[in-house]
Order: sequence, then structure tokens, then C-alpha cells
Amino acid sequence: MRLSFFLLLSLWLVSCSEEDADSGYEAIVENDTLSIEIPDYFPEVTYNFEANPPTEKGFELGKKLFYDGKLSSDGVVSCGFCHIQDFSFTHHTHIVSHGVNGALGTRNAQPLQNMIFMNEFTWDGAAESLDAQPIIPITAEVEMNESFSNIIDKLQADEEYPQLFAEAFENGEVNTDNMLKAISQFLVMMVSADSKYDKILKNEGSQFTDEEEAGKVLFDQKCATCHAGVLFTDQSYRNNGLPIDPEYDDEGRSRVTGLQADKYKFKVPSLRNIQITYPYMHDGRFQTLAQVLDHYDSGMVVTENLDPVFQQNENLGISLTEDEKQKIIAFLETLTDDNFLLDDRFAEF
Amino acid sequence: MKKWWLLFMVLGFVACSEDSDDQASPQEFTGITLQFQNQIEGENVVLNSETYMNSEETYEIETLRYIISNIVLIAENGEEFAYPQAESYFVVNEENEASKSITLENIPIQNYEAIRFGLGVDQSNYPLNGVNNFVPTAEENNMLWSWSAGYIFLRFEGNYTSATETDRLFAYHIGSHGQALDNYKEVTLDFQNTLALGSSNSIEITSDVSKIFEAEFSLSLEDIDDIQVDPQYSPQVMANFSQSFSTQQ
Repeated sequence: MRLSFFLLLSLWLVSCSEEDADSGYEAIVENDTLSIEIPDYFPEVTYNFEANPPTEKGFELGKKLFYDGKLSSDGVVSCGFCHIQDFSFTHHTHIVSHGVNGALGTRNAQPLQNMIFMNEFTWDGAAESLDAQPIIPITAEVEMNESFSNIIDKLQADEEYPQLFAEAFENGEVNTDNMLKAISQFLVMMVSADSKYDKILKNEGSQFTDEEEAGKVLFDQKCATCHAGVLFTDQSYRNNGLPIDPEYDDEGRSRVTGLQADKYKFKVPSLRNIQITYPYMHDGRFQTLAQVLDHYDSGMVVTENLDPVFQQNENLGISLTEDEKQKIIAFLETLTDDNFLLDDRFAEF
Repeated sequence: MKKWWLLFMVLGFVACSEDSDDQASPQEFTGITLQFQNQIEGENVVLNSETYMNSEETYEIETLRYIISNIVLIAENGEEFAYPQAESYFVVNEENEASKSITLENIPIQNYEAIRFGLGVDQSNYPLNGVNNFVPTAEENNMLWSWSAGYIFLRFEGNYTSATETDRLFAYHIGSHGQALDNYKEVTLDFQNTLALGSSNSIEITSDVSKIFEAEFSLSLEDIDDIQVDPQYSPQVMANFSQSFSTQQ
């Protein structure tokens, strides 16, 4: 067992605060930093922990914010409204995300897991940083439809929040930066790395069944080009041949880059906990994994920028027999991490 | 198996006030005002009523807003005084007189010969250095997209009439989009006369707004009147806009 230490030693940070002109000093706040356990076969983290190390108080504040409807204009729709832990923080059974006053979004809520390894966020990569991602759902009219000015006013007027911010952050201020940092401190702890698949990699005594093992072989042959590595995504944006839904006519990644070459491309999603994060695809059009595999086998259409990986054979897509589909699904089910889904630290209640 | 521990000892935070004894005495610092003026042909821009001409069209301006950031004063001796980054994000909004006066506090008193500032938000800093505290100001000024976690650096809207089009709307909303489309610009203006801070505490900065259409690049509204996430045209708009600034200081 190799231990690598990310040591941020007892830092004595000196800051200048206008509030203590008289005393010159303010009380020392104890706030333990949290540790994250990451298997050695995981990739390097991308999140900047130095800029925002998760602490006990920051995590608790972030969790409270995550589950608080105050972050929306109607006081009801919290982050947790569409990101439900039992389903790896997706909006179970909902095709697209729901917002305030019954508004409907245009995309399926993505799971929240292993975000510290991701380069960009949302289906089209419109957020380059985890700390900034919540700006999108909070301000989007069809999601939480709230302004940060209002939220900060609400939090400052709240009975509990000013104290919680004071405990969590050096400068103690109830402001947007601290609010987003706190939410990140909650999110960065969400590492899902304890599925059956992981237990096998860790040599913890689990074993694939014959069907799962066969499924893994098929998966590695037919799916792992895009769903690569232990996160089961290469984090690229690709057009996977979905028929264009005229209701949304969602152009995907090109909205972010403005490039015609990115039209209809969406981020390759991680497949961890895929069994319970249905419905599938960026617009939630498929209810089951069998439907997803049917799509890759026989449902694909040629649209602009269809990924070349699907055009290597005479037949479009990835040919799969019914037996092969069943085996792949059996393998995918080994990626479900019950310990993550039931982890009390993240639970609303 | 590797374990990553983020080990933190008890963190002790000591805060001091800005005017405590170990700091330089306050009389060595002063405030300064950057006075922005948006002009066309030497006259202050009038929104919604005045008609202007570029090379091919006439236009009226309804909205003109831009983000100023990362302000640095450069002293005679070459030393740079960078205004604290977290405090250094502003929206200049033509509709709002007060927004055109940017007041900076606690500037060391010395002779300065140039100023440098950013147009937009430098995403290499993002989201560090407290830039997220700028979110409320940006959203109040409609300088955020709802679908993207980024800022609109320049919002320039109005209507135009060309040889073939009458009273059509135009909208330039320019920002950065990922590493591939970085539209953040820095502008450095040399002072014609050294700014002896203490005796003069105001710098007038003028943007010749017409240069948005005509500077390094020639842009025609008839060719394209809606420039937003556009890898071809948005860099041209920002290049032109960054060349619109001058100072009489």
C-alpha cells in the first residue's frame, strides 16, 4: 500500500480584515480538513484542492446549500431536487430536468460523482470549473431561476448561514465566492470508487460471474474507445448518431465553441452507476440500457459530425447480438456503487 | 492501493486590520478615479436617439456595457502596482453614470506613467482570486449567460440601417469560451504626462466606440449583425474594441 500525502501544513495565513481595527486579531477557528480516499488506479485529480481545500465546516455548509431551496426563485427547487443521491444524484425517471414553476429544461440531469477528475462540466462543457458550474443551473430560467444578488441577500438575512460561513471560511463573508467554494467542498467528496468492479480491482475477494466477465471482454472491445479507463469516459465530445429531436434541436458542444465541427457533439458520460441513472443520453430519451445498446447496434443515423468510430464497418454503429448486449449490461451493473449511493455523508436527511 | 490524504492541521487564521502599526502609514496612499467616457467622433455616446455611421451603415446604440478588470498602474521606475485582483472587476455601463467612474482605494502615492487593464475576465485566473464575487454585479448588468458559466465581456446592441436592411437589430455579446476561444484582452495606455498621484487623482479614459466596427478589422453589420459564440468574428470584435481606448493623461 502506497500512501501519498497531500500535505497542506498548518498554515498561518495572515489576512487583513477591516472589521478588527480595534483588536487587531480575531478568534482562531478550528476547522479540520477532510481526507479523500482514492484508489491508486484512478487518474490524477484535476480539481485545485490547494485553492479550495475541503474542510469539515465547508462541507457541512456546502451540503446545506445543496439541499436548500433558497437557492431558487420559488424557494423549493434546490440542487438536490434534480440530483438525488439514491440515483447517483440524477433526477430519477425524469427525462429532462425540472425547474421552478414546473419549467422543463432541455437536458437530462447528470450524475454527481468523481467530479474531481473531470476537466469540464455539463453535457457540452459550458463550465470549465466545478466552482463555477452551479452558476448555470442557479441562474437558468428553466432551472432554479434565481440571481446571486438575491441568494446572498437571503443567506445574509438567514438565522444560521452567517455563522456557518464564519466558521467555514477565513474571511467569514457570506459572498458568492464562498458560497460556490462551499458547494464544491461538498461535491469534491463525492468519489464513487467502491463498486463490485472496484472491489475486484482492489483484490478484495469479489469475482466477476462468467456473464460479467464475458461482458467486460465485449465492453473492452466495443465500448472502451470512448468509455475509456476506470472513469469509463475519455471526456471527449462526440456525436453518437442519435436522431435529432426536433423538439430541442440541441446542437450540443457547438453552443460552447461556436464551431460547426462540434455540432451535435455531447460529452461522453462516465458509466459508473449507470444502472441506476436512467433515463439515458443528453435528453433522457432511452429508459433502459437495453434501449441504449439497441441504439448503438441498429438505431444510429448519420447526422453532421457523426463520430468516425461508428463508421468503421459497412454497417453503421456497433453490431451487437442480443446475447452480447445482455453480457455487457451484466458487466455495467458491476459499476454500481451501493456504498456511495447510501453514503450518509451526502444524504439530505 | 494509494490513499490520498488531504491532511490539514488545525489552521489558525490571524487577521490584521489594514491600518495597524506594521503597515505603511495611510498618507502614503490615496484613492484614484478612472473616468471612462464612451465617445464617437469626439462626442459622448447618446443611447437610443443619436444616429451614427460606420463605413456602410447607420446605427443607433441601445446597450453598451463592458467588463474592466485586473487594473495595474505602472510607475516611472517600472514598478507595477496591481490593484487587488478580487476587487478589480467592474462593469462600465453606458446607461449608468456612476458605473463610468471606477474608484480605486489605497494606491501608493508615486509618479505613474502608464495604466494597464483587462477587458473581460482572464480565464487563466478563473475561478480563483475571488472572481466569483463578481457574479452578482455581472448578473445585475446582464453580463452572464444562463447556459454557460462565463461572463459577457462586451455587450453592444442596437439597430442599424444599411443599403438593403432597415431598422434591424444587432447584438454583439463577446466572451471567452473554453481554451480555444479566449477573448480576454489587456490594454496598456501610456500617459502623455506623468501622473503625480496626490496632486491629480483622476484618469480619463476614452473609448472611441466606432472602432468596434473599424480598427484592425472592418466589420459590417449587414454581413453579420449577431456575433456571440463565434470563433471567427468574436476575436475580431474584441481586437477592435481593445484598440478603442486612449487617455489624455
